[in-house]
Amino acid sequence: MNNINKYSLPEIQEFLDNHNSTNDTLFNIVILRNITIEAIVPYLKYLTIHMGFQPNIVFGNYNNVLQDTQSNNDVLINQNTDCIMVFTKLETLSPKLINSFPELDSESVEEEMNLVKNYIVTTLSGIRNKTNAIVSWHSFELPIYPAFGVLDHSRPDMQIAAITELNNFLKTQLLDFKNCYYIEMNSLLSIVGFKNFYDNRYWHIGKSPYTLDALREISIDNFKLYRALKGKNKKCLVLDCDNTLWGGIIGEDGIDGIKLSPNFPGSAYLSFQEEILSLYNRGIILALCSKNNESDVWDVIDNHPHMQIKRKNISLAMVNWEDKATNIRSIAENLNIGLDSIVFIDDNEFEINLVKELLPVVETIHLPKGKSANYKEMLASSGLFDTLTFTEEDKKRGELYKAEFKRKNDKTNFSGNMESYYNSLEMIAEIDKVNETAVSRVAQLTQKTNQFNLTTKRYSESDIREFMNSKEVEVLFVKLKDRFGDMGIVGVSIIKFSSNYAEIDSFLLSCRAIGRGLEKILLDASIKLAQFRNFNKIKASYIPSNKNDQVRSFYVKNLFIKVKEQDLKHDFHFEASNTLELSPSYYKEINIKYLSKIK
Amino acid sequence: MEKKLTKIMAQILGVQENEITPNSSPDNLSEWDSLKHMNLVLGIEQGFNISFDDEDIMQMLSFEIILETIKEKI
Repeated sequence: MNNINKYSLPEIQEFLDNHNSTNDTLFNIVILRNITIEAIVPYLKYLTIHMGFQPNIVFGNYNNVLQDTQSNNDVLINQNTDCIMVFTKLETLSPKLINSFPELDSESVEEEMNLVKNYIVTTLSGIRNKTNAIVSWHSFELPIYPAFGVLDHSRPDMQIAAITELNNFLKTQLLDFKNCYYIEMNSLLSIVGFKNFYDNRYWHIGKSPYTLDALREISIDNFKLYRALKGKNKKCLVLDCDNTLWGGIIGEDGIDGIKLSPNFPGSAYLSFQEEILSLYNRGIILALCSKNNESDVWDVIDNHPHMQIKRKNISLAMVNWEDKATNIRSIAENLNIGLDSIVFIDDNEFEINLVKELLPVVETIHLPKGKSANYKEMLASSGLFDTLTFTEEDKKRGELYKAEFKRKNDKTNFSGNMESYYNSLEMIAEIDKVNETAVSRVAQLTQKTNQFNLTTKRYSESDIREFMNSKEVEVLFVKLKDRFGDMGIVGVSIIKFSSNYAEIDSFLLSCRAIGRGLEKILLDASIKLAQFRNFNKIKASYIPSNKNDQVRSFYVKNLFIKVKEQDLKHDFHFEASNTLELSPSYYKEINIKYLSKIK
Repeated sequence: MEKKLTKIMAQILGVQENEITPNSSPDNLSEWDSLKHMNLVLGIEQGFNISFDDEDIMQMLSFEIILETIKEKI
């Protein structure tokens, strides 16, 4: 994803020395630990910079996790904290469980385990009293050579079972505390391999257990979370066809000659397709970009007996002889997504380099020749598409984007004026206040929306839930349906109420709902809500980012008055003394459901 | 080999290459503390593809000694 695997520590250090990121926003990482783990810093810094932020990493004192989370001091953990990494090795936390397990009777085991459980709960409550920042807690590693040797794995009352129970407890607690995630150290241990994961010398010298390889993998896993949190996860996979989806070249080998079957070598491509299909079912949009005769490609997709990816899974196909950079650009335009949410996969190094050169923000994965058996793993390990939530909308995303493309086509073919085009869409908008079923989608929209987003404030599910339960905040969402399909929740407005004014804290629209006047409906509903609560003065602001230029004048165009313009923030006012109708007339229905539920 | 070691040490300690001399040690380089020493050991191991013995690590407290230890390992 950023070549971190290729570089040695001195090389990473060199990159960091030569990199100046002081203009980027700070990303504040706090590390709580009962081990020495300072050597992880270069990897965390490297990945932070590659995510587009400036790293600021601070450590709690050695083995001071409880003190750091219970104290009233906010020097370490405070409102600016973006994420908290917790490392609690059992060797330090409960040496008895690790080093002298066979000595313990069942009561002492339980006692030790309860100590650990209390420690987990106390730490998490302490953190949550200070901040809602994302927490990643690194699980307890299972000993490779357990206390009772070969018997241990078979018994429910021995060391492995005890540690597994602690991990399960940890996982449940993390889920309960919201926005807390479990990093599976045992998987990372498997990836690196036991013999390369621990540095026993430094464990004895300075309580520093991990090798550089281990620290690098730990960092990579944490950044899969952080990228999702910061909306940097990818949304669309653009696929080459020949030697990517199948072995061979359709134009030369023909449908019967290409390699795609349950047996080697076709099975490698079949597994790769299954992995792609799993991504589709996780809400990733699939598009094709192939130099071929279009009919040949569709023939394989529709008629090859072992083709896993079907026509209905593909939102858009660019099968022609144009260069791939041009095609990828038009995929982005047609699907209405940013180039930076695209991952391009090809076996041809020339195409990969061309795209890297012309569209540097597009992430590329090069499939090396002769290594088809590894393609599946290369895609699975990238973590590029990982998200922090998974909703019903995600499952349907592929279909939704396919409909979006049809709509666009329709628009281009439409000879009448826009108004009658909109009328023909039979759009139905529905506005409601956030409820439990909508929380995760609403949080996700704040995390992922970049273009039509006035303030680009990112909120976690627990933040949204907090707003939902607060009297001073209202969260509205808008759903959109038309004759092509149901898009689900596509817009959010968060309104905060002070003593004498209301303020629109966040206002955003998913990019696939832009250009249908839906923003006017949502703004109108937000204003009406404020009026309903007897607020006549409404404040709003626009915070420029490098993606949201298109909404710079949004408020001015919609009856707000600009009161202040600074580089980092533009402020607007709206005097809601008179009632105005912003909502467009070309909607078939506009249902406002929240009025009966005002707090 | 001297050059490569100088470069690695400078990068990991965060100093200029000309600040690294054969006599460099934690006593005359304030950047060289115990945490940096660990990174130094791990970075040199990675850079030269070697592994130091337990006892070596605590004794490798000057440029010259590190160089000698690397030579024994290669």
